[in-house]
Formats: sequence, C-alpha cells, structure tokens
Amino acid sequence: MTPQVTAKELAELMKKAAGVHVDPDELEQRTDSGFDTFGLDSLGLLGIVGELENRHGMPMPPDAERCKTPRQFLDLVNSTLMAGA
Amino acid sequence: MSPPRARRAAVTGIGVIAPNGTSTETFWKSTQEGTSILDRVTREGCDHLPLRIAGEVREFDASSLIEDRYLVQTDRFSHFAMAAADLALADARLGQADVSGSPFSAGVVTAAGSGGGEFGQRELQRLWGQGSRFVGPYQSIAWFYAASTGQISIRRGFKGPCSVVAADEAGGLDSLAHAARAVWRGTDVILTGAAEAPLAPYSMVCQLGYEELSTVDDPSRAYRPFTAAACGFVPAEGGAMFVVEEESVARERGVPVRATIAGHAATFTGASSWQRSREGLGQAIRVALDEADCAPEEIDVVFADALGTPEADRAEALAITDTLAAHSRRVPVTAPKTGIGRAYCAAPVLDTAAAVLAMEHGLVPPTPNVFDPCHDLDLVMSRARPAELRTALILSRGLMGSNTALVLRHGAAHAA
Repeated sequence: MTPQVTAKELAELMKKAAGVHVDPDELEQRTDSGFDTFGLDSLGLLGIVGELENRHGMPMPPDAERCKTPRQFLDLVNSTLMAGA
Repeated sequence: MSPPRARRAAVTGIGVIAPNGTSTETFWKSTQEGTSILDRVTREGCDHLPLRIAGEVREFDASSLIEDRYLVQTDRFSHFAMAAADLALADARLGQADVSGSPFSAGVVTAAGSGGGEFGQRELQRLWGQGSRFVGPYQSIAWFYAASTGQISIRRGFKGPCSVVAADEAGGLDSLAHAARAVWRGTDVILTGAAEAPLAPYSMVCQLGYEELSTVDDPSRAYRPFTAAACGFVPAEGGAMFVVEEESVARERGVPVRATIAGHAATFTGASSWQRSREGLGQAIRVALDEADCAPEEIDVVFADALGTPEADRAEALAITDTLAAHSRRVPVTAPKTGIGRAYCAAPVLDTAAAVLAMEHGLVPPTPNVFDPCHDLDLVMSRARPAELRTALILSRGLMGSNTALVLRHGAAHAA
C-alpha cells in the first residue's frame, strides 16, 4: 500500500521541522489557506520536504518546496509517492 | 562621529541574561555584591577539554521564553539575545503598539564574535554522520553571527535600520555606538547589544588556540587581571540588550532616561599585540572623551577591559594613565567581569549594563577574585564603593586587536 501523507502528518511535520503548532483538525479544514497564515516560512517548508524525502527514501520534485498551501503540497507529495511506489 | 547635538541617544531599557543573573535585578545584585560564579564547565560534551573554568548561564530555559518557531531556527546565542531584548523592551515600557504604528522608525543592532557554534556543530555532525540530506535548512541562518539582529527584527517587527557589527570583542561596545549614530541620524528607537554562547564543544575547541585563555582549574584563581598572578581570561556566555532611543522621544513617552551615549571611538592595533594596545586604547579613550566633550577629570568610574595577562593588563593600565593623567590615580577602576568571565562581544555590553546601574545606584561594583593588584590604579575590590557617578568610561579590547572606549553620562545629568 502506498504511504499517504495526511494533513495530520503534515501538522506533526510543521511542529517538528519548523516549530509551528497547528491543530491537525484545523489544518485539515483549512488546506487552501496559505502556509504563511499558519506561520510557516519557506525554510520551514524546505525542512519538511527534506524530512519526507528521508522518511520515504525518495526525492520530492523541486516544486514541492514552492507550494503555497497544504492542499497543493499534499497533492504533489502524494502523487509523487504514488508514482514512485 | 560628530553628532548633531540636537539629538541625544538615551538608554531607556536594559535586559541582561548573564552567568550571575538572568534578570537585570539579579545581575545587579550579584555584581554589586561581588559574587563570583566562575565554576567548572558542565555543558554536555565539554568535560574532557583542557578548558575547565567558565561563566555558564545555568538558569535559562529558552523554551519558556521564546516561541518554538524561533527556537528551532536559532542557536543559543540568539536565544540569549531574544530573551535579553524582551527584558530590555519591558524595562523601557516599549510595547508592540509603540512600534507597530511606525515600524521603520525602530531598528536593531547587535554584535557577535562567533555566531551559533552549538547549532552549527549539530548540523555538521549530521552532515558527516548521516549525509547532506539530514542537514536542516535553518543551518543556513542559525550559525551566522548576524542571526540575532535578523531574528529580533522579525520577532518584534522592527523594520528600521538593522545592522550587525563584526569587530572582535570590542564590537559589543561598537554596537552601542552604531545605535547612537542611527538615533542621531533620525531613527527613534534601536534595540542594541550583544550575546554569545561559546560554551559548547566545537566552540570551546576553537578557543583552545588562544594563548590568552586561562586553563587554570581553580575558579578563584583562573581569572585575576591586574595581579602578578594574572594567567589569562576565563570565557563566559550570555548577553545584554538595550533600548536606545532619541531623548525627546523617551521624554514624550514618559520613561526615565537612564543614561546617554555621549562618546565613542575604536582603533585597531593587531592580534595579540598587547603592548601596542596601550597606544590604540589610549587613542580610543582620547577621541571618545573629545566626542563626549568630557574632560578626563569628569570620568567618575572606569570599567576596565581586564584581559588578564601581564602584558595586556600593563598596556591597559598605561593607556588609562596616559589619557587620564593625574586623575588616573584617583578614579575608581573596576572589572566586575572577573566574577562572571569574558563573554566575548557580550563582555563590554554587560559592563555597560553594570555601568548604567552603577550610576543609578551610586555604587562602584567590585572586582571579584582580585585582591593584590600590581598596577598604579585605584581598583575597587572586595566590596562595592559608594560614589556619585555622573560619567562612566567603558573599555574593551578584542583578541584580534580592536580597542574601543565608550563614554556614558548618567541620565539625570541631562534632565530637563
């Protein structure tokens, strides 16, 4: 089964990699809000990309770190994982 | 630097995170009591190193003072700087609302000598232990000596002139002068100061090459400047930040002017050329006094650099004698850093905090661990000495050859 990154896992990564605390349920409901509205900056997102690459043992596309919203990011990451599986 | 005299740079807030106190109140209490907190280095991974004694900040819990999103991207030295900045702003009663209306009128100037060594070591260990993919992106900013200015500016919304002074230990004093210049040029408020965290394994190894470093393992004997037993200096960590603002802005806000930055000068005489620092420090003192329009006799207390090697101590004592002439035998000289160690760039800003507090309390703090000076100076020892203090001279030298003098006037001296 392809590992899917959920909004819950993203919330956990935002906390670990960037120190940004966001309620997983809130993140799930606000996936179209900009990362900046959660207080996540570009270096923070880059750290999350690196963490996912290490967890899954595969590179993410360069666009991953340029995503503006959680939905864009999760869609891209999950389609990449799906294609790579 | 010829200030337009219409604008004066006033110190209105002080924030201290020091080995002898993580609030301005505890710092001053320990400083005026002459308490020495020099002790064995206890930080993780340091116990096998030949540098045994230092001034550690032990009562500091960064996670209770600074938000996680700033903590993950910063080193301990920036934690000290951010925490000290918060204390200074609270002390100056300068809140977010005071700045948010005109964020470009508020800036930040800090100095740092070594940057984020602990953070950098952790990431470099990941690089060589696990590979480049395991190095976090915040390594790109956290180790940098400019990190504290940037993070304070972002965290507090200060969008005015921001800069970083990289000028050796004396750069700490230079940061105050940069702040004063920015205020003279038209900026209302500058948060300024310095913080250092050099007590981590990599950073400590870097210091082992300094021949001026004391490796004596008795805390009461390791750092005794101006004595025949001088054997080098003991390093320390910590920092101090100040709110420096235009005097009329402070008066309009209704906050007390604690002190004004009256004069400053910096010279350079080369690394480990302590004999030459006599002339360099002397010249810095002369120019700083001239800028402050201050006669040598007006200096009421000298906070010495007190490096702690016979050659450097002699050069400093002679620089004071050369410039203050007969007054040099009367003016009280102190070096409270002998009780807490030298925190590189943070050392002279901690002295500056002590100088402002000394003027306010009319009390020259003593020089801990020093009892038998061998120079012709009136060194204050054992206990604090009451004195009317209107003007203070603060001296700093760096291991790489910078010499700086700063003249502070007590706030009441200019009271309207």
